[in-house]
Amino acid sequence: MEPILTFEQVTKHYPNGVHALQGISLSIQPGEFISVIGPSGSGKSTLLRAINQLIPISSGRVLLDGADVSAQKGRALRSTRCKVGMIFQNYNLVYRLSVLQNALHGRLGHMRGAAGIFGLYTEADKARAIALLEELGLGSFCYNRAGDLSGGQKQRVGIARAIMQDPKLLLCDEPIASLDPSSAKTIMDILRGMTKQRGIACVVNLHQVDVAIKYSTRIIGLSKGSIVFDGAPEALTDEVIERIYNTSRENLMMGGKADEEAYSANFAV
Amino acid sequence: MNNGIRIAAPRRTRAGKLRIDCLEKNRAVPAFLGVVAGLTVLSLFFLQIDWLRLASRIPDIGSIFWKLLHFDLSRLDLIGEALLETLSITVLSTLYSLVLGLLFGMLAADNIFRVRWFSRLLKSFFTFLRAVPTPVWVLLMMVCLGMGASAGIAGLCVHTTAFFTKSFAESFESIPDETLEALEATGVGRLGIFLNAVLPSTLAQIIAWTGMRLEVNFSECAILGMVGAGGIGFVISSCIQGYEYGTAGVAIFLVFLIAYGIERVFVQIKKRIR
Amino acid sequence: MKKRIPQISPSERRMYGAFFCVIVVLFALCTAYTRFSPLELVQNSDNFWAFLREDFLPPAIPGAAKVENIINSIFVTVAMALAATTTAAILAFFVSLFGSESVSPFPKMAKVVRGFAAFLRNIPALVWAFILFSSLGIGTGVGVVALCITSFAFMVRAFAETMEDISQDCIESLQAVGASFPQRVAHGVLPSCLSGFLSWYLYCIEVNIRASTIVGMVGGGGVGLVLFSYIKSFRYNVACSIILLIAAMVIAVDLVTGRLRGELAK
Repeated sequence: MEPILTFEQVTKHYPNGVHALQGISLSIQPGEFISVIGPSGSGKSTLLRAINQLIPISSGRVLLDGADVSAQKGRALRSTRCKVGMIFQNYNLVYRLSVLQNALHGRLGHMRGAAGIFGLYTEADKARAIALLEELGLGSFCYNRAGDLSGGQKQRVGIARAIMQDPKLLLCDEPIASLDPSSAKTIMDILRGMTKQRGIACVVNLHQVDVAIKYSTRIIGLSKGSIVFDGAPEALTDEVIERIYNTSRENLMMGGKADEEAYSANFAV
Repeated sequence: MNNGIRIAAPRRTRAGKLRIDCLEKNRAVPAFLGVVAGLTVLSLFFLQIDWLRLASRIPDIGSIFWKLLHFDLSRLDLIGEALLETLSITVLSTLYSLVLGLLFGMLAADNIFRVRWFSRLLKSFFTFLRAVPTPVWVLLMMVCLGMGASAGIAGLCVHTTAFFTKSFAESFESIPDETLEALEATGVGRLGIFLNAVLPSTLAQIIAWTGMRLEVNFSECAILGMVGAGGIGFVISSCIQGYEYGTAGVAIFLVFLIAYGIERVFVQIKKRIR
Repeated sequence: MKKRIPQISPSERRMYGAFFCVIVVLFALCTAYTRFSPLELVQNSDNFWAFLREDFLPPAIPGAAKVENIINSIFVTVAMALAATTTAAILAFFVSLFGSESVSPFPKMAKVVRGFAAFLRNIPALVWAFILFSSLGIGTGVGVVALCITSFAFMVRAFAETMEDISQDCIESLQAVGASFPQRVAHGVLPSCLSGFLSWYLYCIEVNIRASTIVGMVGGGGVGLVLFSYIKSFRYNVACSIILLIAAMVIAVDLVTGRLRGELAK
């Protein structure tokens, strides 16, 4: 099968001298559910944003659906971004707008001219957004301000926005890092279910190794900007985890760095 | 949190289209925008400005700038003196007002001494002082102190003290009552509470207000010059009126540099404090 | 002697100490240079009170025709401030879109835009008025333009900072969706920042009501000019009532903007 996404020797240097990505090559097939794990600063976030060029790469090529994304600009880049949904750790909603409006933002990339600027969505899109929000259990919140929702609900709106794009690929940047365990489970279940049902490939950045093992079909381990592991969850042995995080598995489970960050993120909100 | 159960019936417009906006909207915002737009158009008509004539003279602005840019450095000693005077006025008026503002701010904040009527009275008095334009205060002070920098300092102090009193009192009042209660329970006196709890926790805000006021007071130099209280403003206005554009250009450029410098320094300080 | 236990860290202590020394030295230098002493103010206060009592009080009301003139001039001043601030706000909104690195389609240009705004902002409004009056002649229109320049520059900075603070996250998500620049502005920046913008707008109205009185004095027209002409002709009694009228105007505007600010932030 034709891969949906291919990285060819992608590197990224920031102006401050940090080498976030060093010669990354990988390819992703439709329908895969991939978790990217690695310690903070290992380049997970940069990797994800390199796919839709929110962060321009320094060298190499990113091929999405056969087209070279890294060379694209303006309208071509925008229509590529249409095909890629994205979910963020901080939800990144427009909190003053309604839940429905936020979900409909997913259609903006498909709209041109005045209709796009003034938000004149088609009736079909609106009906679909309402149906989708109902499916996500937010039917009764359609007309609430997005800012009034709880964290888990906000993230579900974020998922609705991404799904409304009709994406071929879904990128999730630490989608559950700011959530409590029960909301986190709901979100992961929704992500797994929705992508499977619609045949969308999904790349998720995760801090929690156990969650990655439970949900993914494939895991990529990142350390210092390079891929140190790429394979099925079953192949992720303790030694491999040690190599990724430079620490033993027990340390990770008993309040290692990852847990600490999730903890502080939870309480900072 | 909004967990109340709400019926999910899709809302429709009169034309039967699906609505997407929020149920509870702030209707004040569109009303405000409409009123402001209407009032502005009215004002523009009321002022009867001859925009065409104004626009036809835009090239003159270019020629003035051209003249201002031909820097004339021959009067640099005069400019330097005036600039030093303006800087001194700025610093002294801000420092004196800072001390007075802290004192009056403490008295005007209604959570420190809890004498309601007194803080009300103080606040209204300073509101009045703030509302009278600065040039009037400078003119009044000139009657008392004669022409010169002293009148400028005293005149600026009135306005600045009133400003500090209001802003500091607001900062003090923003401290949660529980904090004060906790200290009160330990038996600390009112002044002790102010010095040990209120002042340290509002220090960052006080520094921010002071920096802002330093900028404002420096730019008021133009006002002082206008009424004859000396400083660089006087040099600028008299040079422009006397067609000495070269000298005025140098003075304006230096004013810009110093104002920009003050702004940068306080941006840095604010970052450091956070 | 007992050594006191320090309450704050030594580095902080050193910073505050240095800060304090700088202030004391500055104070001494400036006092020496200007020979300003508050005592002089106290000594001469008799003069001040005598002047206030004999020349200023009681506030006098001039003839009916003059009163109409004065009331009209108050409206001119308010109209100047309103027209200048609104025009400046509309212009500043569009320019600030290019002055914010996260929103602008040309992030490299943002520094240039901000630099330009810093240039306009750091020259006092009254100096702009002097420059414009000498090139365009005196008049209300020129006064409006002078007020407009500084508030425009101020709002460009304030709006750009509001955008950086508030809408960075939602801009990123709209970018990821493939929204174009006008779409990002209409669906991300405007809804999330509008109340912040309006709060700055109200602040500028307050500032400009005061500034338009002062710009009026040097030739911008309005109540400032009327006040100045009475002061110049030594009719302090009438000047006193005009000053009270100005104060009432400023306080009224402050009260209205204060109420609106609370109402709009909801």
